Order: sequence, then structure tokens, then C-alpha cells
Amino acid sequence: MFLSRFTSDRRLFPYTLVLPTAIVMLIVVLYPLIYNFILAFKNMSMYHFQDSTFVGFRQFAEVFGQRELYWVFGKTVVWTVVNVFFHVTIGVTIALILNGRIYGGGIFRSLLILPWAVPQYISALTWKGMFNHEYGSVNLILMKVFHHAPIPWFSDATWAFVAPIITNVWLGFPFMMIVALGGLQSIPHELYEAADLDGAGALGKLRNVTIPLLRPILAPAVVLGTIWTFNNMNVIWLVTGGGLPADKTHILVTYIYKAAFTYYRYSYAAAFSVIVFFLLLGFVFASMRYFKITESAFE
Amino acid sequence: MKSVRFLRVFLCVLAAVLAVPAVLYLAGGCAKKEEKGIAVWEQMDPEEQKLLDARIAVFQKTHPDVPITRLHFETELLRTQYQTAALAGGGPALVFGPSDQIGPFSVMKLVRPLDELFGAAFFAQFIEGSLDTLDGHIYAVPDQVGNHLALAYNKKFVKRPPATSDELIAFAKQNTVDENHDGVTDRYGLVFNAVEPFWLVPFLGGFGGWVMDKNNNPTLDSPAMTKALAFVRDLRIKYRVMPTECDYQQAETLFKEGKAAMIINGPWSWGGYISAGIDVGLTPIPRMSETGLWPTPMVSSKGYSVNVNCPEKKLPIVKELVDFLTSTENQVESATKIKMLPARKAAAESLLARGDPFLETSLAQVKLGRRMPVVPEMRAIWDSMRPSYQNVLNNEITPQEAANKMQKAAVEAITKMKE
Amino acid sequence: MKSTRITRRRSASSGARIKTIVAHVVLVCITLATLYPILQIVGISLRPADRLYSTSLRLIPEDATGHAYYSILFEKEFPLWLRNSAIVSGIVTLIGVFLAATAGYAFSRFKFVARKSGLYSLLIAQMFPATMLLLPLYVLMKGLQLLDSLGGLAIAYVVTALPFCVWTMKGYYDTIPKELEEAALIDGASYWRAFRTVVLPLAAPALAITAIFSFMAAWSEFMVARVIINTRTLYTLPLGLESLSSTFQTEWANYAAGSVLVSLPVVILFLFLNRYFVSGLTLGGVKQ
Repeated sequence: MFLSRFTSDRRLFPYTLVLPTAIVMLIVVLYPLIYNFILAFKNMSMYHFQDSTFVGFRQFAEVFGQRELYWVFGKTVVWTVVNVFFHVTIGVTIALILNGRIYGGGIFRSLLILPWAVPQYISALTWKGMFNHEYGSVNLILMKVFHHAPIPWFSDATWAFVAPIITNVWLGFPFMMIVALGGLQSIPHELYEAADLDGAGALGKLRNVTIPLLRPILAPAVVLGTIWTFNNMNVIWLVTGGGLPADKTHILVTYIYKAAFTYYRYSYAAAFSVIVFFLLLGFVFASMRYFKITESAFE
Repeated sequence: MKSVRFLRVFLCVLAAVLAVPAVLYLAGGCAKKEEKGIAVWEQMDPEEQKLLDARIAVFQKTHPDVPITRLHFETELLRTQYQTAALAGGGPALVFGPSDQIGPFSVMKLVRPLDELFGAAFFAQFIEGSLDTLDGHIYAVPDQVGNHLALAYNKKFVKRPPATSDELIAFAKQNTVDENHDGVTDRYGLVFNAVEPFWLVPFLGGFGGWVMDKNNNPTLDSPAMTKALAFVRDLRIKYRVMPTECDYQQAETLFKEGKAAMIINGPWSWGGYISAGIDVGLTPIPRMSETGLWPTPMVSSKGYSVNVNCPEKKLPIVKELVDFLTSTENQVESATKIKMLPARKAAAESLLARGDPFLETSLAQVKLGRRMPVVPEMRAIWDSMRPSYQNVLNNEITPQEAANKMQKAAVEAITKMKE
Repeated sequence: MKSTRITRRRSASSGARIKTIVAHVVLVCITLATLYPILQIVGISLRPADRLYSTSLRLIPEDATGHAYYSILFEKEFPLWLRNSAIVSGIVTLIGVFLAATAGYAFSRFKFVARKSGLYSLLIAQMFPATMLLLPLYVLMKGLQLLDSLGGLAIAYVVTALPFCVWTMKGYYDTIPKELEEAALIDGASYWRAFRTVVLPLAAPALAITAIFSFMAAWSEFMVARVIINTRTLYTLPLGLESLSSTFQTEWANYAAGSVLVSLPVVILFLFLNRYFVSGLTLGGVKQ
């Protein structure tokens, strides 16, 4: 049988498994990427929209020449780290609680994924309304329940950065919760029992059993979550109404968006994207090495 | 044996994945449905869309063999989607939108100059201010003039419209009240979108300034700009007649809930106030007491442009359609039904004879306003004004500093844009 | 057996009871905080006029009306959008789960040329700012004659969902001991069969994650759909909802009502997948 060779030959079988994915990915991913890499070395802009020429590294030089971008980069890192940290801690905590004996666990699980299920556009705008200085429910609750002075969410640059972070933490934790819930299913009970016999406390079990065994499934989600958060400007853009106050709440991708869609500087935006791409590529390599997640169980 | 069966399933799925593009490729190649029809991409308000659908239906009766499809986009999306599609050699035959989008479209050569296609006699039928020329060419056939801000007031709180800016402030002060004394203002005197500089521009003109000169160079660092910024800042910080954080939705909500006495907004919004049950009056934004000048909201037209990718043989029917959609008759209908100001001379004359107070005020405000520049530089200017304007409203920098910063940012942005 | 006995004994002790109570209290608090913004959205959908915001704290407005739901479900093209979204999301979920399950297995268990670089390159498309990929995607889809087709949209979504799905499947397979398949292989099963009958059933929780992620990647996506679909009859739900809005005038009540309706199928799907996230259903006992 010709066909059965693919399922019984140790060398052929993995290629059979990977081939369809590889083909689909190659068709759709490669072209747009190459397109942008070429664009980054040209001068496509409004005045050279259909007649752009190659200009070498000029666009890259221009990106690196912008001083304020280093500050924005720092802010992007803060935005990413804070968001991912809360996504993971809140998500894993809830997953751990839900994994215990909980009455109505199914209902809780289904309700808690709602922030992920509702279209982002409307929830981001709703949060924006909730942060309103005078009428927003966040400030009203602060005033009436906690007797705290209202916070000027969108007049103060720091608070205006906190507001989208809160929104994005709310939007993002259900995803991590689900991944963690799934991951917890791979941990055999026997390991906890063994830890019990060794006299390990709750913290000890968390550190020695739960976290190491959750790692293979949670690490990819964290790495990808970091990439997505780094490149996600929708939430920050919608909640701060496009950079309130005074363009102080932008992250790196906002600059790309503005360059391409406000100023029509396509090549500049492409060069900028290429830089972001390599930044994230470096991050992925470093974190993969740290977490050792490419290593197979069979190596 | 079982494994072979599963492998077959596997290969079938693989084949299906690969076959989808192939099948669709063939199907698409045979059908070519777009060859015949005309697509219109627009960014109209819901009421306008209904009128357009009705008109397309009328047109289809006489042209049943040319299917016309309408597709709605939000304004910013329309611009980016059209650019993408037209650059790739596709896109709709007609694109409808505000005049400021044709600036970049014409520079990028994505829309066709219309002078020859329609001829000078055709354009002579339009109100002079409704046609925009770029490099001496006309790129859009307008179906309306407008987009102009005016002052709407709730007659329950404001008995007669303010005549001067001093009166505007006085009326606003009277109407900023905390009725139950709980420390939260229950009604504000004046609200408007204080995030976007579009709402600042009327006052800039009211102090005798403008955003750019004849050669499209920004003129933001002017005494007029400083005064206009100070005026809006004082509304918020000195007189406290505006909420501290007031964006578009906030202003709308307050006015529609009867919690604001006056609002500055455009023609697209007035119908909504009536349907929200507000007894609303309309007046031009009052004359500035200091200068005696009228504020100058920006006026622009909206109209149809023709895609450069539209094949020659379709042009006659496209022309016929545009002529029909922007006809005098239809513009009169839009004006009476949804208070849209016409761009054709004949339509404007027949309306003025009827004496509708809303339309009259609206028309009066248009006459006091100034044309919004359609050149691409305007985008850079908006973007440069926004942050400093917001800084002034938060009392972080002085109006003088802001005017200075705006100018610098605008000059820099325009230089980069023109590279 | 042993494990249930232990849990029972522990839950009888008073310390465990306090723990259970605390867990419930914490969970209820988190759930309430999570639901509050959702209730706000429901509140918007019940408002009669087109108001996005309100100055009152009331969640249910005084003049509440279900008109928005009625008008969406019966007057607009909602059923059509729902059908299109269901088709696209269904295709994406099926293909996504299938490809991820198979490719993930290869990455977890086998050594082959370009294994590591393959894993890395899966992530490449995710690292590039998405807005810049839209223009070339349009050009590509035009070239493939896939513009204005649900199939083209589904392919684009599969590509966005696959990287996470493959990685997740690989991670989960890594936790399953290889001895299990080796036993099957010794019994004469082919690789495919060992994978299908031994490993895949154990990976059910990961398949559930993959399924819900693929589904979501297609269900509420907007930007790619906007670029690829330009015919009203082919609109997916997010496109349909967007068509309710215009720059300054949005029928917010309809929009919010539509959003609430859009999220319901996700919750239903999740209720269906729920059992794969419940502790104890996996064959923990087989793993040593």
C-alpha cells in the first residue's frame, strides 16, 4: 500500500501531519510579509503612491531618528508587561478556584468568558463611558461607596493610561483563564496526592506541581499574549478617544497606524513595522529559550 | 486498515483546503458579475441611506440591466478601504464622501477628474461654493453643502437665541445649575465636542484667524488662535459652563437628556434632538463681542467621485446615474425630508421660497462659514492642533504656547507628508 | 477511587470548608465585577433614544424598551449575517482544530527537518503589525480570486488562528507520556492509529481550547472581513453591526443589542465545551 507508508514510516509521518498547515500558512502569510519588507525600502507615500522607488535604509533611519519614540517604546513595554501580568495572574487564579469543587462551576465558567465573547468595539466604548469624570460609574462608585475624590481619567496623562489598561485586563483575562483551565486538566491527581504525603502545603503544591505542569500549555499563550498586547492598539485607541489627553496615551503601533492612515507614509510605516517585527522576534527567541518550550518530550 | 481510512479522510480535508481557492478561482473567472454593475461606496447617515436606496430603485426601473449596489462604510474606513481597493486596481465605480477625502484621492490619482466627462455647462448649475477644485480640476459632483456647525438650544431653558458671545456666556452661566445641591451639576449651559479642533475653528474665525493661507501653509501661530483657545478654555475653567471632560458622545447625551441648555453641533445631529423630544431652536453661532465678527464654522460639500479604475465603456451610465442622484428634484427632496442643504442653484432657490426656519438658519450659517480646505495638508493640520488644544483645556499650557506648538507640529508634519 | 476518597475526607474537615466558602465568595465578587460592564451594554441596548451614555447609574433605564432586539431580529438582515458568520466560524473551527491537532502532534513527538524553525515561523505573521498586512492581503486575495467570498475569509482566519492552536496542542501533547503510544505501536498499530486512538482522546481539553479560540478568531473579527467582503449579502455579524453605525449617528441601542446577541452563541458553544474543562474527566489515572 502506497498510502499506508505515510502512516507507518517514522520519517514520513511527521511531514504528512505538518504539510497542510505549512501550505496554508505559506500561501497567506508569505506574500503580505514580503510585500511589506520590500515596501520598507521604498518611498511610497501620498505623492509617490503609484510610482514609488527604492531608497535603501532611509525610512529606517527616520524611525530611529525620532527621539520621542524611545519614550513611547518604554510605555509600550509597560503597557504590555502590566497587561500580560494581570491577564495571567487573574486568569490562572480563577482557573485554580474553578478547578476545585465549586457549586455552579459551569455557570461561573460561562459567565466569566463574556468579556471575550462581546465584540470589543462596544465594550471598549462602554468602558470609556464608565470612566467619564462626572457621570461615569467608576467615579460615582468611588465617590459614593469609597468617599474618594473623582479621578480625572482623561485629563491626566497617567490615569488616561491606567484606564485602557483596566479595560484591557478585563478584556483579556478570560482567554488566559480558559487556557489555564484546559492546562490544569493535564495534571494527574496522583501528583497532588504524592505532594500531600510529602507534607507539602498549598503554596508548595502550587510551586512544585501546578506551575511546572501548567508551563507547557501556558507558556505559548503567554508568549503570544505578549505579542498581541504589544501590537494591540484598538483598546487604547477607543478608550482614550484616539490619544486623550493630548496624544499622551499612544503606544508604538499607534505611530504606524497614524503614519500609514493619517499621513499616507506607507513605506515609513512598513519600515517601522519591520522594526517592531524584529523587536518581537528577539523577544520570542529569548523567551522560548528561557521557557524551553520548543523542546519536544521525545528529545 | 482503519488507519488507511483515516488517512483518506485526512487527505480529503487537505484536498478540500486546497480546492476552495481553485474552485472559487474558476467560479469567479466565469461569473464576472462586477463587469456589468455599478457599485457605490458611501458613508451616509442612516436617513440619507434610505433616500439613496429609494433613488437607486427608481433608476433601476429605467436601467434594469445594470445592477447598482450600495455599500456603507464609516467615514475613516471608507477612505482606507477605497485606497486599498483602488490601488489594487479594483474598488467601486463611484465613491461618495466629504470633500476633504478627494484631496488625497486626487493626489494619489485614485479618482478621475470630471471636468471633461460632465462639461462646464453641467457644473455651472451648481452653487459656486459647493465645487472644489484641485490643480484646476473638479473631482466630485456634490449632492449637498453643509457639515457646518451651528448653535442648537433647548427652548425650555433658553427663550431667545444669544446675539453675541457675551450673551452666549451669560445664558450658559444662568443654565449651569446644581438643582438638588448635591455637588453634581445637573444642567450645563453649553456643551460641544471639546476633543476635536473642528469645534474650535468657528471661534478661530470669530477672532479673525484661519488655519492656512492661500498657499496651503499653516497659519496657526496667530493672535486669533491664542484668543480662540483662551475663549474655549474660559468656558470650561473660568465660567465652568461646560463639563470638564466633554467628548462628542457626552455632549450628545447631555443635550438629548435635557441636561444641557445649548449645544454646538452639525446638521447631521439636529434631527436626533427633535426625535429625542427636545424643543430645539437653531441659530448661527453668535457674533464675537470682542471683534464683532461672526464665528466661521467650516463648510464642506459631499459628493460622488469616479474611480480611475472604472472602465471607459461604463462611464456614460455612471455619468447618467450621478446626474440623476444629484438632480435638482432629489436635492429638494433631501432638503425637505432630512434638512440637507442643496448644492444646485435651482434647488436652493426653490427652497428659499418655501420659508422653513430650520433650513433658513442653516443656510444663514453656511453663508457665515468658510470653505473647508480640501488639500491633503488639512489632515496634518488637524492632527497637529489636537494635542495642544487638549493641553490648553486641561490648563497645562498657555494658549500662546499652544498656538506656537501647533504651528511647529503642522509645518513638520506637512514636510514629512510631502516627502 | 483513591483520589475521591481523599477529597471527601478533606472536604469534611473544617479548614477545607472555610476554604470552599472563601473560594465561592471570591468567585462571586470577581464574577459580579466582570459582569458589570456587560450589564451596562445590556442597559444601552434597552435605551429608546440613540444614547451611548447616560448620566444616571441605573443599569436598566426608566424608559426601557426591547425595541432594538425586535428590530434587529426581525427587520434587519440579522439572520443573513448570522448565517454567514456561522458558516465562516464553523469552517474555521473545523479546519483549525484538525490542522492544529495533527501539526501539533508532529511538533511534539517527532524529529524532522525544520521542526524548530517551523514552530518559530508559525509566529511570524503575528509579530507584524496587523494594519500593515491588510493592503497586501487584499492584493493577494484579489489575485487568488478570493475577494468577496466566505471561503477566502475563512482561509484568512484559519491562518490567524493556527499559530496559537498549533502551539497549544503541542504543549498539551508534551504533557502526555510517550509510553502510551509506544505500547500501541508495539501492538502493531500504525503511527496514525496510535495518535488517533490513544493520544487524541487524552488531549480533549486542548482540543476544546483550540476549538473555542478558532471560533472566536472568526466570530468577532472585523478588519479582515472589512477588506475581503464587499457585498452586503456576504456580511458577517461584525460587518453587519458596523453597518448600523455612521460617523456621528449610530443607532447605539441596535448596536448594543446586536453585540449582546453576537455574544450568546459563544456562551452556548462554551457551555457545550464545558465538560472538557471539568477536573476528573480526563484519564488522569493512566498517566504515570
